Amino acid sequence: MGIYILKRLLAMIPTLLGVAVLIFVLLRVVPGDVVEARFLTQGSQFQSQELMDIERKKLGLDQPLWKQFTTWMGGVLRLDFGLSMWTGSPITQEIKLRFALSLQLALMASLIAQLLAIPLGILAALKQDTWVDYVIRVFSIAGLATPSFWLGILMILTMLIVFKWVPPMVFTPLWVDPWQNLQQLIWPALAVGYRYSAVGTRMMRSAMLEVLREDYIRTARAKGLWLKLILARHALKNAILPVLTVMSLEFAFLLGGLVVTEQVFNLNGLGMLFVEAIAHRDYTLTQALVMLVATFFLFVNFFVDIAYAWIDPRIRYR
Amino acid sequence: MPGSTPASATVELARAERPRWLAAVGDFVRRRPLGAIGAAIILVMVVLAATAGWIAPYDPLETDYAAMIAAPNAAHWLGTDAFGRDVLSRIIYGSRTALLVGLGAATLGATFGSLIGVASAYFGGRVDLIVQRIMDVFFAFPVIILALAVVAVLGTGAGNVILAIATPMVPRCARVVRSSALAVREMPYVDAARASGFRHGRIILRHMLPNVMAPILIMATAFLGEAILLEASLSFLGLGVQEPTAAWGLMLRGAAVEFAETAPWMAIFPGLAISLAVFGFNLFGDSLRDALDPRLRTQ
Repeated sequence: MGIYILKRLLAMIPTLLGVAVLIFVLLRVVPGDVVEARFLTQGSQFQSQELMDIERKKLGLDQPLWKQFTTWMGGVLRLDFGLSMWTGSPITQEIKLRFALSLQLALMASLIAQLLAIPLGILAALKQDTWVDYVIRVFSIAGLATPSFWLGILMILTMLIVFKWVPPMVFTPLWVDPWQNLQQLIWPALAVGYRYSAVGTRMMRSAMLEVLREDYIRTARAKGLWLKLILARHALKNAILPVLTVMSLEFAFLLGGLVVTEQVFNLNGLGMLFVEAIAHRDYTLTQALVMLVATFFLFVNFFVDIAYAWIDPRIRYR
Repeated sequence: MPGSTPASATVELARAERPRWLAAVGDFVRRRPLGAIGAAIILVMVVLAATAGWIAPYDPLETDYAAMIAAPNAAHWLGTDAFGRDVLSRIIYGSRTALLVGLGAATLGATFGSLIGVASAYFGGRVDLIVQRIMDVFFAFPVIILALAVVAVLGTGAGNVILAIATPMVPRCARVVRSSALAVREMPYVDAARASGFRHGRIILRHMLPNVMAPILIMATAFLGEAILLEASLSFLGLGVQEPTAAWGLMLRGAAVEFAETAPWMAIFPGLAISLAVFGFNLFGDSLRDALDPRLRTQ
């Protein structure tokens, strides 16, 4: 097991390096750079080539590409992501608050998704091919089909009309005012959670259907065991594993993937930061964000695999 | 399903008299009602897109400043937007954009994805390893982030949006197709083809690809719904299809949110169109998977 963990950790290195190269190259292919973007927003028609060159030199953009890359990588190895090219403040500082928001939103959304998916999936499997099953399936496919940003717009609309509630302009962190914070995040979490529950519900249903046909369930029934006990002790334990896997992988993507929902609910999360950073051609910030999201994804993946081996005695990794 | 009861025997007889494709359609409707509903929604959408020029009551780009943000009425069934454009006409024309981007991205993503997947499985060894590592890199990006990055490189507009949406789909399709192709590679007919001295390209395209068509089709229909959703998201962010083209995501942007309280029709109807379209594709895709995947057929 120890060797397996080490192997997995080492295998992350080439992937992360690939991610780094990919985003580095992609950004350089994007037309324009941060200096141009800055001059454009200032509306200055008099920007001289010299002035721009001085700015580029300051940011290290005059260096050859391989040198820019190695400098950046050297910083990343020391966990130093440098300064944002746009604002000039340290990137860790730029990301910190938004990371807290995005992480909290992702956690809440995936909690809601699981609370919806697991019971609904079990119910659908137990009542297979009845109207209960059909209603649950339609409900979950509808969740998959509804854009969460539209659901968000509808939620805000309803609350505007019914409660005269307007989404606040400023985000309140959990540690400042938990009640205010939860009030703010529960709606986007619901909109996203409903959508992500759909995947889980369908997985749970099919996993449960498969498990219910197993011999050990028949045995348990044959010896007259109480149905609820069979479900809790024998069926659920075996069926829930793939569901939790899929949902954890989805969770990893919620961290940076809620760009549109953040826009609708006026939340300054990592997704919006990414859009801004790309629009500003802020290389350092975009690169740091992508590395953060990719690392997070790889680690969630890693922990899921380890947890798998730990929970399921049939799986032993070499 | 056992077909020995008298009732199903008559059905069997009746079926024999109809053309085969009609019988197949009838069979699909009877056995998979949800899938049939999905197919019906898709059909309506295709008809709307094809006949938009005749059935749309107005030109989708025609502005009417005398009737801005008009509530649904007899002249404008679903109201008008901030430029006085007819919402219903824009939704009807929007189905063209959605279908174009959806079909384009799904076809592109599934084609390249399955070619890479089959080739990776066929060559195996070091090629397979390298391809898989590259795919891992793409997997570490959330779908929308990757699409946004591609849009940043290529620029906005329908054609580029298709490429941007197809990009994250390639590795996902490749992974699924590869696992099916690994099993096909061990089949005697592939050995036979290799022994006959066929070129790699011919074995991949003529012998392996047709035999992994089922997972490819399943992936492609799933992609279709997702691509429509992604196009709407990108357009909503202002990074997809551009004004004044009629696109559903675009209709939800700007004024639709600003005036949501006083003019909810601008926000409600385009979103409803997106949901319904994706819902249709998902329902149909689900049933298609049940019908094509032999592992799921035993019910």
